[in-house]
Parts: sequence; structure tokens; C-alpha cells
Amino acid sequence: MPKIEVSANALYKYMGKKVTGQEFIDLIQCAKAELDEEDGDVLKIELNDTNRPDLWSTAGFGRLLKLYLGGKIPEYPFFSRKGDIKDNGGREVHVDPSIKDIRPYEVCFMVKGKEGISDEGLKDIIQTQEKLCWNYGRKRKSIAMGVFRSDMLKFPLKYYAADPDNTKFAPLGFEEKMTLRQILEKHPKGIEFGHIIKDFPGYPYITDCEGNTLSMPPVINSNESGAVEVGDKNLVVEITGTDMPSLVLSASIVACDLYDSGFEVLPVKVVYPYDTPFGREVTIPYYFQEPVTVDVAYVNKLLGEKFTAEEAAQYCQKMGSRTKVDGDIITVYPPEYRNDFLHSVDAIEDIMIGRNLKNFIPEMPSDFTKGKISDESQFGRQIKNIMVGLGYQEMTYCYLGSAKDFIQKMNITPENVVQIANPMSENFEFVRPSVLPCLLNSESISSNAVYPHNIFEIGKIALINPEENYGVSTINSLGFLSADKDTTFNSLNSQITALFYYIGADYTLKEIEDPRFITGRCAEVISGGKEVGIMGEVNPVVLENWGIQVPCAACELNLDIILADTRK
Amino acid sequence: MDIDIKNLHPLEIKVLLNYKGDEITAEQIDAQLGFGSQSNQIFSWLSGKGLIKEKSRTLRTIYELTELGSEYKTKGTPRERILRLLQAKGAMRLNEIATALQMENKDVGTAFGQLSKEGILSMDAEKKAEAKSFDPSGTMKTIRALLEKGKQIVEADLLEAEKKVMATISKKRGAAGAPFKIIEREDVVYEFTPEGLEAKKMLQDKGVTGDEIGVLTPDMLKKGDWKGKIFRSYNVNTPPARLIIGRHNPYTVFLDSIKDKLVSLGFEEYDGPLVETEFWNCDALFMPQFHAARDIHDVYHIKSPTMAKEIEEPYLDRVAEVHKNGWTTGSRGWGYEFDHNFTKRLILRSQGTALSAKQLHKANIPGKYFGIARCFRYDKVDATHLSDFYQTEGIVLGKDVNMKTLLGLLKMFAVEFAGATEVMYVPGYFPFTEPSVEIHVKHPVLGWIELGGAGIFRPEVTKPMDVDVPVLAWGIGIDRMALMSLGLNDLRELFSPDIENVRLRRSK
Repeated sequence: MPKIEVSANALYKYMGKKVTGQEFIDLIQCAKAELDEEDGDVLKIELNDTNRPDLWSTAGFGRLLKLYLGGKIPEYPFFSRKGDIKDNGGREVHVDPSIKDIRPYEVCFMVKGKEGISDEGLKDIIQTQEKLCWNYGRKRKSIAMGVFRSDMLKFPLKYYAADPDNTKFAPLGFEEKMTLRQILEKHPKGIEFGHIIKDFPGYPYITDCEGNTLSMPPVINSNESGAVEVGDKNLVVEITGTDMPSLVLSASIVACDLYDSGFEVLPVKVVYPYDTPFGREVTIPYYFQEPVTVDVAYVNKLLGEKFTAEEAAQYCQKMGSRTKVDGDIITVYPPEYRNDFLHSVDAIEDIMIGRNLKNFIPEMPSDFTKGKISDESQFGRQIKNIMVGLGYQEMTYCYLGSAKDFIQKMNITPENVVQIANPMSENFEFVRPSVLPCLLNSESISSNAVYPHNIFEIGKIALINPEENYGVSTINSLGFLSADKDTTFNSLNSQITALFYYIGADYTLKEIEDPRFITGRCAEVISGGKEVGIMGEVNPVVLENWGIQVPCAACELNLDIILADTRK
Repeated sequence: MDIDIKNLHPLEIKVLLNYKGDEITAEQIDAQLGFGSQSNQIFSWLSGKGLIKEKSRTLRTIYELTELGSEYKTKGTPRERILRLLQAKGAMRLNEIATALQMENKDVGTAFGQLSKEGILSMDAEKKAEAKSFDPSGTMKTIRALLEKGKQIVEADLLEAEKKVMATISKKRGAAGAPFKIIEREDVVYEFTPEGLEAKKMLQDKGVTGDEIGVLTPDMLKKGDWKGKIFRSYNVNTPPARLIIGRHNPYTVFLDSIKDKLVSLGFEEYDGPLVETEFWNCDALFMPQFHAARDIHDVYHIKSPTMAKEIEEPYLDRVAEVHKNGWTTGSRGWGYEFDHNFTKRLILRSQGTALSAKQLHKANIPGKYFGIARCFRYDKVDATHLSDFYQTEGIVLGKDVNMKTLLGLLKMFAVEFAGATEVMYVPGYFPFTEPSVEIHVKHPVLGWIELGGAGIFRPEVTKPMDVDVPVLAWGIGIDRMALMSLGLNDLRELFSPDIENVRLRRSK
């Protein structure tokens, strides 16, 4: 979830009103925003909706708050639409076929200010750029944006795949020229983002018509045109990436923000040698969003209200969309800077927020349904009660652990144990294959607790099982361990007898060898003709591995099999 | 000092009652009350309570017959035996004597030396021992008398002559080779303290005899011996011994109470495997495959096997279409090529909502379902983050459910689970619900907390599962309330492996 920092005063300017304290906290709920911190003029805002990148800037955030407070829907006259292409004043970008399979799309526009860009304005545009490219553009992978001083550039610009070894420029922050490949190896941004383009034969590259470098997207701008400073009046914004609608939307967001802060937006025509979702010639900023229609009956069904179509449309407008009402059908035209209407339900949420949640009176659901805990839970409870009756303390453990605890100390081989491919640390690298290591871990750290120790857990374990669709079985398992000077195979067996008696099942024991237990004092538990578990005196080798100095006997039972059997 | 006669053992009572208290010894009470070896124990109890004190202490020597002594007593001493042999067989060489009596040569030598010194035996020309007389010497008579005196002989009871002889045939250490062992004993004489005398008086006043019934035995009940007798009063304030009992874990008790509440509200429980596919964990929930939360650093992947064999149809086809173009849900979809391999990838379930997604196509309408699911997160473990933890989630399907009934449900949860007095709803964001809300509640102890998130499942989620009615989906965070109810403040404590820690834990 993106977090942004805004200047309160700049925000109030965009809102057209100063709102503070609890009133502000309540107000920003319409943007699914929370005030994280307030430090003088700086507000730290957390924005929860990952589909609303337009809110990740002071201008965009302020725009919604202004609308929600009753402001008029702003006009952005510079947008081209299908059948209504604005004059690009001769400004063009020529996309070269060589880039098609590397980073196929580029969009661009220019802004012109009467006054130069302010310190705050510059900070805000850098923040917008970061949030867009990081959160919306997947860390520059699908969107990367650059801002340039247009006075140093001459249209048309050229976007192509450049030879990494025979193309040189001075990247931002460096005086000397380096080859593209050298930049990837030496420049901090090259090291950070170079992996996106490293393996292509040519690297994305933008120059003006005289060959002056703008940038090597998505890595770094040139040191000359790419170093925007406070006071610059004419800027070029260009965005490259892999998904055309996201690029065009990003351009629209930045254009609207700059327009709201007083800049004039000058369209640029991008000419492609191949097809894009919006044709081969796209004039940016471009409005491509499709309207969604929604029946007011559906609005009322989901919201439990009795709005008229006009009322619903009005609430929708409060969130920035233009609407048209035709009988029961409301057509919603997304604002220029938004593309988050995938379905009519997205419009319905806007209607809900526009109406304000405070105005919805909670009602109880009227359907009668029968409640029930699962058979597994019910069976688990029955068994827990017996175990408690046998004097056992119930434990609850984490399911992730280390190779050391789950495999090595247990004296077992790892082939059935589920391993995590990308563990965060070796302490949490395996899913437990048994409850027993958890019980032994308890015993190993509890030698100071008064004996006897009788502990158990009913929980899940996972084991690799090639017969399963997922290749892994999750099993509801009961593990119990008894540690005391008098603990033996026989004392444990008495408890198992009591347990099975009250479950209402029979069992027999069959001697087996298992490295976790003492040979000759270990048995498979068989019930209903199936192997349901294992029991025995814990092997002193295992006890020593855990640093345990009290004899232990332990048992583990597969409750799923026993449950299925007792339900027959 | 407070005297509580209830703390007295019946034997202590008897001692107090039977003596004046000016002079008592273990021997005395052994003989008179028949306590046997318990006497010293009783004295130690009484002096521990300050009721008696030592008056004097004298050292006493006792001679105890050893095994060898007993043998001498029955078979005779070496001197006696040699003399008897010679009387029967006439003069014999020493080695012949040793053979005949099965004695060591040196022992025969020693005895011969003693006998000749006493003038009873002498050696003849053939080196044979020859008796001058068959009468035992005085020393031999004294030894015989000592041997016949009994198992223990008190030194004070011996004559001076006997003492002298005894000194030659008794040893303190290594007494196995001597007929008598020297035992030194201290005789302690006790007297009652003023408190002892007071206790004695209290016993007399109350008519306590020490013959009251202590432990009531099955035998007494069988025979009716208790009838007409008095029961000894116990000190009811004596601290009892600690018991280690079997017990449920307070955290699972808490979770079970949540389950029971949901069941009472008409919810049916569901469950599922720990290892899930990307499909059910995310794709079926309309989270695009390029979604930030599906990054390698947010979900645990399984090393091997890496993929499920198959994903259930027709759900896979439909979901793939939904992502691509919306299928027939009325959505435009995410507009990308759905990756059919990626969707099969195995992961550790990262959200309980995966279970809701799986439940949809099996659900009744109307229907209410819930699960308390163990989920796994790519988080550094600390007081507020765990790598695996429980999520509580559920769904409500019905023709007439809507945002207002969702708010009603959440309000009920707020009251039932948090004891909340006030609730506040704010718009929320979840990839699979639209509209979405968050519920904040005023908890009586914790103050305002976020209780959970909820919303109406997107048609992109429900339609592919053949569900055509609105589905309310909710999740509530109960861990903070669990911590509070268990008096803890660190999430790791919920899964504590420490036995004593868990044993001592109580839930509020």
C-alpha cells in the first residue's frame, strides 16, 4: 500500500478549503486513506486502494477531497479522444521497430508554465513518479517515467533499441560518458534496475532529433536534460513500459496533476510502426476509458437502498465521474485520471462512498441457516477432552520450523518433508511433518517445570504424497508426549487403550523399527485394518539431540483416518 | 509462640499426656508406650515445635554380638573347640588340629598361644599339643559368660573384670573379625518447655487422647471401628501440595469460543489444506497474476513438487477467461494472458479467503460459512508478526443480502466478539470485494481498533463458481482480543512451547 507525504498547505490549496483534525480524518475516508502521521506541515498519508494511482499525489488526493466536499468536476480540455484528436503542435515521438520486443510502448507530453516549477511542485512530481513506477508499474518493470527540461530538446524524439556497447551518454549524477552496458554495471540505478533490460540485444533509448540523449528507460535519465530544477518552466514527461493502457493512464494522471498546479499541457503525438491498443498514432494525453453502465435496480440490490437513478448518479459524480441517466440505466464516464471501473460494481462502490457509509443503517440478515462446526473440529474436541482427562496439557505450536528441529534432531530422512523454496530464514524453512518435534522442543526447554510432563496437540501436519493432486497431504494429527522418570512403553499404551476405548474404536500394535524410537519398544498403531499412527519410547539418540534428560514416550495418530473409520 | 494442638501427631499427644515432663528419654517411651524406633522421630517433631528441649546428654557404650560372636556362642570359641578336640582325641599336632576343626593354621596358632600362656596346653616332644587340664581358664569362662549375655551388652552393666576381657574381644571398626562390636551411643534426656506444658494442659482440657481417628480407612468403615470414636481435627490451613492437571490450551479455548459463537449465529465451519495453489489462493479471487501481493517476497513457494497436477474444471477455464476479458460476469477483466502454469504453482496458503473461494461452488443458498485458517506470511517474526497464524473469515450467500445486511452482520460481530459499544464503518479496499468496508470498533479495554474488513464478493469471483446471488465476505482480526483475554502482549506467546508458561496461563 502506497504511503505519500504531502504538504498540508499545498493540499488545502488543491482542496480549496482547510480541513483539520477529526474532520480531516473522517473526510479522507472517501479516498480509503488514513492519516499515519502529522509533522508540522507534513502529512503522511496511507492509501489503501491499489487501483487508484491518481490519489498518490498531492494534486490527485486534493482533487478527490475537493470533489467530495462539493467541488465541481474539473475540465481537462487537452485530452484527445477517439474522433477528437487535439493539435500536437508538430511535437512527435517516433518509435522504432527495433524496440517492439523489448519495451514496446512509449507515451509523451509537454507542459509549459507561466512560472517555473516550485520546490513543492518538483517534490510532488518526483513522489508521483516514484509511486507510479514502484507500486503501479511493478518497480519500473511495466512503467518507468522520466521528466526532462524541454528547452534542451528538439522534437521529434526517437525511441529505439540502442547498441549497449557503442552508445554512450553521461547518466544523471555523472559527468563522464559511459556505454549503456557500463551504466548497468556501475551506476547505482543501473545496478538496481538493470536486470529489467540486461538480457536484451538492444537497450531502450530515447534521443531528440539531434541525437541528444533523454534517457535509457527504465534505468536512468541523462545528466543534461534529465536534471530538472526548481524554476524550470517547460517540461517533457515521457513514460515507457509494457502495457499501453497503464502508460496512457499514468500520463493522464501526471498531466491532470500538472494542469491543476497551473501548467498548460501540450499534446505530443507518438507514432508507432506497429499496432497498439489505441492505434499506430496516439496523441497524448489520450482518454481511452470506456463508460460502464449500471442499472439502478442492481445498485439498490447490492446497497440495500431505494435510490432513484438520479440520486445514484449524483453520488457517483461526487467521486469525480460524469454520468448520464436514461430511465433506470446510469452510464458512468470514468474521470480522465481513473481506469478502475472493471465492472458496474466498481461504480456501485463509488455510489456508496458518495452517499457516505454513515448514512447506511445496518440491518440483520434475515435468512435462516443452520450452524455447525466441522466433523474434524467436533472429533478434535472429543479427543481433546479425553486427553485432558488423561492428565495432558494441550499445547499450540507454529507449523514452520528448521531442518535442524524437524529432521536432524528427529533422526529422520527428509524426503517426505515439505520444504519452502523461498524461506525468509532457515528457522522457518519447513512445514512440520509431525507434531512430535514440536512436543520434544517443548520438553527440551521445560526441564525446570515440575514433572510429570504430559503434553499434546491436535493440529495439522503436511507430508509429501505423490498420489495427491497437490503432491502434498495435509493431515489432522494428534501428537502426545509423556516425560517422567517412570514413563515407559506400557504406561503410554495404557493411555492409548483408554483413548481408543472412549473414541469407540479398536486398535492393535505391530512392532516396527523407526529411528525416532527405541527398537523393540516402538509399534505401529493399527485401527480398522489401517495404519493410523506410531507409538513408543523415544530413542535416547533423539533425546540427546534435543538435550532431554528424562525418558519420554510419545504417540502420533492420524485423526482423519480414525474419524472416517468411526463414522462408517 | 502460638500453640495449635491440631498440628500435633497422635504420638506426640501421647508423649505429652503420659509424662510429667521433667525427664523423658527415648528408652523410656519405647518401653512404656511401645513406639519402637519412632521415638527419636517424635522427639524431633516435638522439639521442632518448641514443646520439648534437651536437658542432658550422656555418652554410652554398647557391645553388640557380631556374626562371629554368634558363631562362637553356638560352636564355641577356638580355645573351647581345641580343648574339646584334645579331650576327645588326645594330643595332636597343630596342623592336624586345624584340619580336624577346619580352622586356619594361624587361628589355631593364636589359640594355642593363649592356652599355653594360661598354662592349659603345652607342646610335647613330638610337637604335639597336649593338655594339662581340660578345665577352661578364668578368661575363657568370662568370655563364655559375655557371649551368653545377649545381643547387646551395656558397658555400665559389666564388672571391672568383664570390662577388661571385653576390651580384648571387641572392636569399633573392622569388627567382623571380633565377636563384639563397640557401639557408642548418646543418651539424650528431654524435658517439656513451658509451651509443652501448656500444650499438655490444652490437650487435657479438650479431652484429646491421641487415640482419635486420623485417616479414615476402608477397613474401619467395613468393621464399623469408627463408631463412638472421635476424629482428629486437621489444620485446615495447611498448604496443600501442587497438582499438575490435564488442561486445554487457553488460546484454543479462545478460538473454540469464537467458533461456537459463529455456529450460534448460523455459520457452518469449513477447512482446507495448508498447501494451496495460486489458483485458489489468488486467481479465483480475481487477483491478477501480476498483483504486487503475489510477488516472490510475499508468498512461500513449495520447493518440490512445485505444481499441482491439475486445477478443477470448469473453474480454471472460467477464471482464466475472467482475468482475460471478464467472461460472462459483466466485467472487462484485467486484459492479460492468463498463465496456466503459474496458476498451478503450489504455495503455503497466505489468506483464509482461499477457503471461501473453494467453498463457493459447494455452498448452499442461503448459506453462511466460516473458517479459522492457519495462514503463512512472508514476515519477519516479532511481537506483532508471525510466519504462521490464524485468520478468521467467512461468507454469507443469499438472494437478499446486501451492504446494509453486511453492516448489520459486522455490528453483531462487534458486539459478540469485541464487546464493542460503538462501531464505525469506513470504505476499504480488497482485491476480491466491491464494495468493500472496514469496521472499526470501540473495545472496552483496547479502545478503537480495526476489527476487520468485509465486502461483497466481486461477480468475477462468484460467477465462475456458479453462484449468482450476492456473497458477503468478511474477515475479522481476533488476535489482539486473544492476547488481551490471555493477559499477553506478544503474538509469539500464543504459540509458546514453554510447558510451565502454558500451564500457569489463565484466560480472563
